[in-house]
Amino acid sequence: MTPGTYRLGPDDGKLTVRTGKTGAAAKAGHNLLIEVTSWSAELTVATDPADTAMWLSADAGSLVVLEGTGGIQALGDDDKASIKETIEAEVLKGCSIEFHSSNVTGGDGSFNVGGELELFGSKQPLSFQLSVTDDKLAGSAKLNQSDFGVKPFSALFGTLKVTDEVEVAVDARVGVNA
Amino acid sequence: MVELDHQFTSQKSTDDTFSAIVDLDRVIPAVEGGKVLERTGPDSAKAEILVSMGAMSLKFVGSVEVIEKDAAAHRAVLKVKSREAGGQGYANADVTFTVENGGGSVHTAAQISGKAASMGEGVVSTVLDALIKDFTGKLGAI
Repeated sequence: MTPGTYRLGPDDGKLTVRTGKTGAAAKAGHNLLIEVTSWSAELTVATDPADTAMWLSADAGSLVVLEGTGGIQALGDDDKASIKETIEAEVLKGCSIEFHSSNVTGGDGSFNVGGELELFGSKQPLSFQLSVTDDKLAGSAKLNQSDFGVKPFSALFGTLKVTDEVEVAVDARVGVNA
Repeated sequence: MVELDHQFTSQKSTDDTFSAIVDLDRVIPAVEGGKVLERTGPDSAKAEILVSMGAMSLKFVGSVEVIEKDAAAHRAVLKVKSREAGGQGYANADVTFTVENGGGSVHTAAQISGKAASMGEGVVSTVLDALIKDFTGKLGAI
């Protein structure tokens, strides 16, 4: 990739979150694929990977359920809308979601990105692999909600829970320099 | 058939606790998601229970009737007959309350079919157990 600064957002690709389910009544719940529909990121690619950096900011009110698998019945549009409301009102509560890298190593299209993620009002270290080609950026990170001081959402008197670990992925086209 | 036994405590007198249990307007809302829709008699009501599974929920609508009421022995049996709203399933139960000094016991014999039952009897039993524990935790305060 040509050194420079690249801006990314929903028009360039997708930022998604995958959640799982656990608990005695896990069969009743769904594994969710959620899209963050409002986000922005900036990637600064330098000749020296040590000077490469990225940040990403996501709007906690912009999550939309794309699909739900498993469960004892298929998710309808009303269910998806209800999940969105639950995520906003009971889980994220409008919190700031920001990642800032502090240490990038590697090169030749594959970077190890280390930094800090602010989520649920707490900042925690996060690292992940990022694949960067001439026109595409892709990577995913797994994080535990409990690391940020949050108890995963539960229902059915605690017998159905969202897994502590969720996976966040970004897959986007990289356009022209900002 | 799922059969479960629970104990509960109450600071109220045995008579007061028993009176609350056989008063459907007080006992039905003590079940999480439970609501009286219409009183159909002194000891019967049309009711619904909305079981929330996070985003989704299952609603059962039917009747609750006090079929046995022994004030002297402080023993009552409530019969629940309900059908899953918009589905083929049902949830029926005979719930036996025995009130003693300082609390009492609840024996539940339930039959559940349809989507809820598709989770398997073990899961149904676990969820029902959690629901009744929540319910019995409120019994002393109704």
